[in-house]
Amino acid sequence: MGGYTGKILEINLSNGKIETKSIKEEDQRKFLGGSGLAAKILFDFFDTKVDPLSPENPLIVMTGPIVGTQFPGTSRFAVCGKSPLTGIWGEGTCGGNFGPELKFAGIDGIIFKGASSTPVYLIIEDNKIEIRDAKDLWGMDNYTLTDSLKERHGKEKRPKVLSIGPAGENLVKFAAICNDKGDFIGRTGMGALMGSKRLKAVVVKGTKRVEVSHPDQYSALRQSLITKSRDAMVAQSLRSMGSDAGMDLGMMTGDIPIKNWVVGEDFELSANLGGPSLTEKYLTRNHACSFCPIACKRVVKVDNGPFKTDEGPGPEYETCATFGTLIMNYDLAGVIKANEWCNRYGMDTITCGATIAFAMEAFEKGLITKKDTDGIDLTWGNITGAISLLHKIAKGEGIGAVLSEGSREAAKKLGKGAEEFSVEVKGLEVPMHDPRGFHGMGLAYMTSIRGGCHLMHLALGVEQGMSTYTEAGFQENYIGQTSEGKAEMIKLCEDLGLPCNSLLICEYVAWTLSANDLVEMVRATTGFDFTLKDLLACGERTWLLKRGLGNMMGINAKDDRLPKRILTPLKEGAAAGSIPDVEKLLREYYEIRGLNEDGRPKREVLIKAGLEDLAKKLHG
Amino acid sequence: MALTFPSAEWVEEFKRQINLSEAYKKAGATWTAGVVALIISAKPEIGLTEDVGIWLDLHQGVCRDAKIVAAEEAQKAPFCITGDYVRWKQVIKKELEPVKGMMQGKLKLKGDLPTIVRNVKGAQELVECTTRIDTKFFDE
Repeated sequence: MGGYTGKILEINLSNGKIETKSIKEEDQRKFLGGSGLAAKILFDFFDTKVDPLSPENPLIVMTGPIVGTQFPGTSRFAVCGKSPLTGIWGEGTCGGNFGPELKFAGIDGIIFKGASSTPVYLIIEDNKIEIRDAKDLWGMDNYTLTDSLKERHGKEKRPKVLSIGPAGENLVKFAAICNDKGDFIGRTGMGALMGSKRLKAVVVKGTKRVEVSHPDQYSALRQSLITKSRDAMVAQSLRSMGSDAGMDLGMMTGDIPIKNWVVGEDFELSANLGGPSLTEKYLTRNHACSFCPIACKRVVKVDNGPFKTDEGPGPEYETCATFGTLIMNYDLAGVIKANEWCNRYGMDTITCGATIAFAMEAFEKGLITKKDTDGIDLTWGNITGAISLLHKIAKGEGIGAVLSEGSREAAKKLGKGAEEFSVEVKGLEVPMHDPRGFHGMGLAYMTSIRGGCHLMHLALGVEQGMSTYTEAGFQENYIGQTSEGKAEMIKLCEDLGLPCNSLLICEYVAWTLSANDLVEMVRATTGFDFTLKDLLACGERTWLLKRGLGNMMGINAKDDRLPKRILTPLKEGAAAGSIPDVEKLLREYYEIRGLNEDGRPKREVLIKAGLEDLAKKLHG
Repeated sequence: MALTFPSAEWVEEFKRQINLSEAYKKAGATWTAGVVALIISAKPEIGLTEDVGIWLDLHQGVCRDAKIVAAEEAQKAPFCITGDYVRWKQVIKKELEPVKGMMQGKLKLKGDLPTIVRNVKGAQELVECTTRIDTKFFDE
């Protein structure tokens, strides 16, 4: 099949054995790649009951058939396993350049099993694959480490690096994995999983090409999609202002959480922290992931002041919100500095910022004091205090050790009602899009496999009007502050979004394309005779498989919930007074998804989707 | 009496509504980026035989001038938003939010995007002003 290399590496870090395996064509057709294929691998070969930080939990790095083909937005890859943060299915995806390089080395994915007794890293140079000692690298931050490894392995040959920083080494539960300093597998703590295996880095260099099934069709399609993607208005917005373009618009629509989700509006915050501000004050240049015509990445520099920062990767919207609006910080330079430290240590900026916001509210309420924080003042808006706390979290020092477990566990340890202001779903802190402004996103949070997630489906773009796919059954336009019709919308968002996720197509690029464009990309690359219906069936199948894995890991209907803070109406702002109708959303969604009352997919639904083995596991 | 969109009378009333609006005065107070022009694409089957431009000279919360102009003239404005008649009708009826419309490619923007984004509240208030005009559409 075109697009696939046919080779999966299996690396046993306990005994150093390196083997290769292949994926059945049937599974390629059914799950495509990325986290969809990774979920199938975990289901087939691994125990879902293991402790996430035990050697038995695999770390699965996976690309997809379109990665490395030079279609726009196809530089991404996924990392999956049981999440140390949530205890359920964990996954993250990111852009950058690692994914294509792995394909150029002739590899579709890597399964890491076991754990090394000493720090190691993996070097892949086409067919030459070695596990090497990393004792001299252990303790390095991601920026220093990336530079060192590139120097060591032939800077002029442009090796690509995947790495963890000290947070991953210290098993911070929301530790992230870094690709070449600026791109991160952020969510669900895959960095801690990598750290538990004492795997410090993966370095890859490849010289091969990705072969496609229909080269003529591919060439013509690629050219037209590059033009379409580049010229779309949303692409222009992202190119000129980065993802932080969402800040100013979001304040208008009630999308942005403020002060740990209790304030509804603050235009001074968005003016200070938004895309135009970032562009005008700190941007030095744009940066693009491999083969991307949008170039949404920011490279920034803070020339002077207490948050002086050398030129480096800049913050995304989520970070500008978690270290900005969520903690009432008006200083964008402070956000840039916090972003840099999260990058260097390797921590998810969403969970880190949200956990710090939780800590600030605990501080306000007297549940923690300066004595607990070793003198750090956690008054709202104090970004200097937030950064000091960030260091403690990364190093696991003092109160940092408690907070490094994430806000759900920290709330349990603090008690005294702290659970009321830990804003998470299934243990994953909710991203910076308020369901009170967009009820469909609330449903997506409740039903997302990995917990509070804004990305594994297309709800963000669809509900906020950046994109629509009427040929797939979507309406042309959706109203944010209604729960009517949102169950159907979210099911479609998931059924179309999950194949995009499995194919590792960047969501921003997906917003600029049609559903039929996505089908054509699959056909030209793999040779699969797919229709749109087949693609949507893939999405449904992948959702059911991941949901089933979640059930096997302990998820049931009671976990499909929104936190109390989000179900409390705001007094001001565009979303004032609006809350999602959770009962209606879940009732309608369960019906169209075919879930039992206990939150498991029904047997007949699984069998119809071709998941007979899962049906047996869940229903006997 | 209802005013036909677009027409000189409609544009005159639009200017009046903008200058009556306290909300626009506040939201548009920082706008110094120049004229905003709208272009409504021709639709001969409903009686709109050629493209029509609406020229809005906006400055610091005040509409200094508003007039119908030829589309070629409208294109010279620093900010120019072009759309089909049906889209503008949807905007005036509040069925299409203009920034959403731009993102979805239903309205085309020429002009500095960060400036528009900074002033999106002003844009929203301008749309509110259109909803206060008793409007008659060509195809109704």
